[in-house]
Amino acid sequence: MTAMTESTRAAALARTTVPTAAPRHAPMGRLLAAEARWVLRRPRTLVMLGVFALVPVLIAIGVAVADDTPGPGSGLIGAIAGNGFVLPIVSMTMALGLLLPLAVAMAAADAIAGETAHGTLRGLLVAPVGRLRLVGMKAFGVLLVATLATTAIAVMGLLAGFAVIGGADGQLITLSGTTLGLGEALARVALVVVWTVGQLAAVGAVALAISAYTEHPLVVLASVLGGLIVFGVLSAIPALDWLQPYLLTSGWTAGVDALRDPTPYGGMIESSLRALCYLGLGAGVTVHRMLRRDA
Amino acid sequence: MTTSSPATFSSATLAPGGSAGSAVGAPVAARAIGLRKVFGRTVAVEGIDLEVPSGAVLGMLGPNGSGKTTLIRMLLGLTRPTAGAAELLGHPVPEQAAWALPQVGALVEGPGFHPFLSGRENLCRVAAAEPLLASSEIANAVGAVLKRVGLADAADRRYRGYSLGMKQRLGLAAALIVPRRLVVLDEPTNGLDPAGTRDVRRIIGELHEGGATVIVSSHLLAEVEATCTHVAVLQAGTLVATGDLPSLLEAGTSGMVVVTPDVELTIRTMREAGATAYRSESTEPAVVVKDGPPAPEAISLLVRAGVSVHEARRSRANLEELFARLTEETG
Repeated sequence: MTAMTESTRAAALARTTVPTAAPRHAPMGRLLAAEARWVLRRPRTLVMLGVFALVPVLIAIGVAVADDTPGPGSGLIGAIAGNGFVLPIVSMTMALGLLLPLAVAMAAADAIAGETAHGTLRGLLVAPVGRLRLVGMKAFGVLLVATLATTAIAVMGLLAGFAVIGGADGQLITLSGTTLGLGEALARVALVVVWTVGQLAAVGAVALAISAYTEHPLVVLASVLGGLIVFGVLSAIPALDWLQPYLLTSGWTAGVDALRDPTPYGGMIESSLRALCYLGLGAGVTVHRMLRRDA
Repeated sequence: MTTSSPATFSSATLAPGGSAGSAVGAPVAARAIGLRKVFGRTVAVEGIDLEVPSGAVLGMLGPNGSGKTTLIRMLLGLTRPTAGAAELLGHPVPEQAAWALPQVGALVEGPGFHPFLSGRENLCRVAAAEPLLASSEIANAVGAVLKRVGLADAADRRYRGYSLGMKQRLGLAAALIVPRRLVVLDEPTNGLDPAGTRDVRRIIGELHEGGATVIVSSHLLAEVEATCTHVAVLQAGTLVATGDLPSLLEAGTSGMVVVTPDVELTIRTMREAGATAYRSESTEPAVVVKDGPPAPEAISLLVRAGVSVHEARRSRANLEELFARLTEETG
């Protein structure tokens, strides 16, 4: 009885095989949903998002405590005092220095190297998920982490800014001294979120490329962090000033420009273009490798 | 280095047997043509020609490192061969693997799952990538296959806490999540208890009855003997014997097993008499004698030489001896 139905099924399957037709694939939306679920079920992703959400809170508390003693805090941190809207933007800029790239590198490390190490990449390839679609699926997962991490900092920054520091009557006092309304202030925060995610996408693409070449997730983390440190050192050497336009990190303070009025977009545009170059490079290498990789 | 394989087997190829599964059309489910794979300086697989007829259950035997897994990975399009070509359900791989793979289930190099997800969640993730599974059927298919491999009770526990046998069962479930025309199982009984081994045997039997082709690699020879219709023996990356099981076994029957504590003396005496003699793979001290003088003569020779013959019987050709012989001859 069961044998009959099984063989009928097999025969039905045989009829669906038409060599000239395009191969069947699982719907891309379903793959992306599965990837999102996998990323978000991973305990370390959740812990990381939670910790990131604490960053603006800690800065807010620090500022609130130090508020009474007007010391040398005349820089960015000083600007937060009494101006809650500044907090999310400053928090994102600070996190972009190391924390956010770390999160993205971790996601990228798990995405390909981690799957290889667990023996699950084989399963996806045999399903089959086409190799190109696999890269798309993985890039989506990394981008999702980047977006969530950045958004977590931005949202908690806004909340902590209002709760702990106070919002200057719901307005943003820019570094240039002007005041912006609530809507404009939120738009500025959103702009920085988008810009930051763009920078992280570049980091993620490079990290994915490394991830495609190894089966040790730690190699990805070490490479990305090592790279960031090397970039930092290079940009600190005056004799190597000519290198600046090529270093991804050299424009990473541009997010603060959103706190000026009118906003000088030059820095953000330039760093976004640079990020685009890194993104293209990383994506190209990742695809090249994944199309050939033995699994 | 030359691999000397017995002439009886070396020329044998797998003839499309009259087994079930003619319904699926293509006469050959998987084919290797001169497959060769080199990793750095190591030749993992060398010049393998193999045809797996549709509906066959092919047991792939070989000691560790003989190239079984590499061959399977090339057949599945996971690894690009250094030379040669592979075909899966009539499609060249890896170029057209995407056409064949939806109908192929595979458990390769042990089960691979994420420890922080439950068995069911892991399978749902696998199911999401299956082209032939409609989204609305995923939950049912996962539930059914968990039951089929006997994991229904542990389905919602984290994979982290699974025993080796449970992990293996989950790997099997992933391979069987949709009806397949070809199922490739790499060492499916690793870590399974006797009940689990029986379950695997039952599942292979069901697949066979349903007309599917099964390729199963194993070092448990009894397993292969019990479930397979065809056998391929690999050694040091080359195929030393292929054929359907009955003819391979038949080719192996022409000899005698002498049970005796004087193993060395027996081997020496029989070799002096022009016979092929080697220590049996069984647990009792015994010698397998082939191509020698007729049995009565051989026994009297042994007795005269002072061998204490406890028992002498016609060699029950089993796969274990065949396997031992085929894989120990080089050296």
